[in-house]
Amino acid sequence: MSPVTIVYSMIGGVCFTLAAVHLPVWLRNREARASLAFAVAAICSGAIACGELLMLTAATPAEYVAAQKWNHVPIALLLVALAAFGYHYLRAGRLWLALLGIGVRLVALAINFGIGENLNFLEVTALGRVPYMGEEVAVAIGVRNPWLVLTQLDTFVLMLFFADASVTAWRHGRRTEALLVGGSLTVFMLASAGRSMLVFWAGVQMPSMVSLFSLGVMLVTGYALSMDLLRARQLADELSERELQATLAAEAANLGTWTRDIANGTVQVSKKWRELFGFAPGEPLTLPSLLQRIHVDDRAAFDHRLMQAARDGGDYHIELRLVLPDEKTRWIAASGRVAFDARGRALRTRGACIDITARKRQERETLRLRQDIAHVGRVSVMGQLASALAHEINQPLGAILRNAEAAAIFLQDPSPDLAEITAILEDIRKDDQRAGAVIDRMRTLLRRQEVAMTELDLSQVLGDVATLVGPDAAARHVAMQLVVAPGLPPVHGDRVQLQQVLLNLILNAMDALRSEGDRHRTVAVTARREGPETLEISVADTGCGIPAAQIDRVFDPFFTTKTTGIGMGLSISRSIVETHGGRLWAENNAVRGATFRFTLPVAAWA
Amino acid sequence: MSEPTVHVVDDDGPFLLAMSRLLRASGFSVKTYVSATDFLAEREEDAPGCVVVDLRMPEFSGLDLQTALARARHPLPLLFLTGHADTASTVQAMRGGAEDFLEKRAPKEQLLDAVQRALARDARERAERSRQDEVHQRFETISPREREVLGLVLQGRLNKQIAGDLGIHERTVKVHRKSIMTKLGVRSVAALTRLAQEAGMPPPPGSTFP
Repeated sequence: MSPVTIVYSMIGGVCFTLAAVHLPVWLRNREARASLAFAVAAICSGAIACGELLMLTAATPAEYVAAQKWNHVPIALLLVALAAFGYHYLRAGRLWLALLGIGVRLVALAINFGIGENLNFLEVTALGRVPYMGEEVAVAIGVRNPWLVLTQLDTFVLMLFFADASVTAWRHGRRTEALLVGGSLTVFMLASAGRSMLVFWAGVQMPSMVSLFSLGVMLVTGYALSMDLLRARQLADELSERELQATLAAEAANLGTWTRDIANGTVQVSKKWRELFGFAPGEPLTLPSLLQRIHVDDRAAFDHRLMQAARDGGDYHIELRLVLPDEKTRWIAASGRVAFDARGRALRTRGACIDITARKRQERETLRLRQDIAHVGRVSVMGQLASALAHEINQPLGAILRNAEAAAIFLQDPSPDLAEITAILEDIRKDDQRAGAVIDRMRTLLRRQEVAMTELDLSQVLGDVATLVGPDAAARHVAMQLVVAPGLPPVHGDRVQLQQVLLNLILNAMDALRSEGDRHRTVAVTARREGPETLEISVADTGCGIPAAQIDRVFDPFFTTKTTGIGMGLSISRSIVETHGGRLWAENNAVRGATFRFTLPVAAWA
Repeated sequence: MSEPTVHVVDDDGPFLLAMSRLLRASGFSVKTYVSATDFLAEREEDAPGCVVVDLRMPEFSGLDLQTALARARHPLPLLFLTGHADTASTVQAMRGGAEDFLEKRAPKEQLLDAVQRALARDARERAERSRQDEVHQRFETISPREREVLGLVLQGRLNKQIAGDLGIHERTVKVHRKSIMTKLGVRSVAALTRLAQEAGMPPPPGSTFP
């Protein structure tokens, strides 16, 4: 067999093999368009090698012309495929340049079948022989087709396209790709154009060798593409390594993970997740069966949060109760994220859950403890109030006593004034009710009870407390001002607890006035709307204020400046306000004294 | 002299009414006030009586009233009432000369006794004050020369020494002394000394009584 036959057959074989390697890549992943373009280019290169072999070994001019004519089809296709490959692989280049080059080539292809014998010759008169690879191969002799210049034009345009795309890719930092792929494509175009011009303009007799150049391009770009495949493989390895680590971490943290594909409704979960939700390994999972495990009272909230996350995007975090098959309740914290596709459609939800039953139990315990402490605090506050209340109770009792004594004396009169005695009895009745009311108020304050959240009229709560501290304020020569903005919406809260907070703040304010002269003894309680969903209550005194160094510490438990205090009042008050969804803080006034403010959410927003 | 009045001051209306009923039924003449300032504005300075006042009242408390009354020319005895007695205010009230300090629900007898005592004390103090006024008036009648002689007599100087001190005859001194005794209505030097002390003319320090 002649060397030419061997070499060109091998070129064809190599090209087809390369195509066979990269075509399946595209078949598996339709997004890998560069692989498709490369495979097409390789097939074309192989076809060109075969066509050229036919030309080189042609025995008659007719054979030569036919082979050359049909060889222009894979050549044109090769150029299209290479342009597509370069465009996708380099992710750069001016599309209009590529389209211009391809357009010109298609015109040339039409001429190939329309004018003259083919694109190269108007007429072939004879076959010449030139030495090539140690033997003699056929070249055509005849009248050249002037339209062949079109192929030089489009090759030049495509060369510009590749050169430009390479420079852009280089600038974007993809230097290896730019150098290897862009460079080889550009050189290939340059070589083809150069050879064509030598033959066309200088009349040099040269055997056809397009496939030789394209083989070079195929090898270089095939190498680059294989490197990419190799890197993809490495990434896949790393990914599975990461996944392994993530699974380990999730298991170590007792995290159950789950993924829900929104399109087909399937749910995939980790082993730990099954444990948490009480599903046996292998038990089939659907969203409804998953929702079934969630406590009835939490189901709607969970569904709502999930829908919200799917609609608005982003993360969700929710704490909910599960009811396990054995009827036990388990608290979990579930967090997750909804993933969207490029068009903003929700694709899947990924989430992680953790068992927080123990924490919840602790929280409940803490709440109970806090209620106990609040009770103690209330009792100690009551201690401070005791003298004021004794005064308030002794007042009606004293009146009853004196009235009864007076009546007894009046009755000793031979003709007693019955109208006077009737008036006395009526007064006795009223004073008895007055004393009863004081006792009722005190009992409400002292009763230890669970938090009872209701809608409260703030002006009423403030009024009650003002009445309660009224006598104490009078005794301490403190002027109490109560300003409630008109038309305040109701708040959501526990009456007794809020009264306790107010009592605490007002008694503290009065304590702060202890060393002030009479002129400056004022405590102002103000309630106003702070925002659409918040009310603000402030208790301001005209005392000595809080030293700057202590203003952050006053809310610490057991922090006190009083000789008789236990330092729990403000700490308890703050925790009560926070339980109500508000905030309690202190600030010094510009002129004199300090102001304690707290916020409460409006009932409709709570 | 007009009938003594018990002034009751308390900001609690019903208690004020009940208190006045009991005191009237017990035979006292009673006037009531809902605040200490009302009382100070309405009182007649020289009318006899006593004050029964609530310790705790807004703005002007019983203790404030005690302070204000102490500065008056004719103070009235104060009887404090309180719903709940605390040591600090009790001490302050008693130190300020309060007649008594009672809880609002103290036994009737204790209350009425205390009112009686306060009225008696007022009468006593009033009599004492009028006596002192009279003594002062008597001293007003003494001439300047007699006052000089009186001063020396109270220092324990003898007639002869006084005559020497003033550069007058011993007999003239004796005339002055007689006139002084007559005007002040005393018979002996001892009585004279006592009266002078009552009127605020004590012997100068260091001198000895003869």
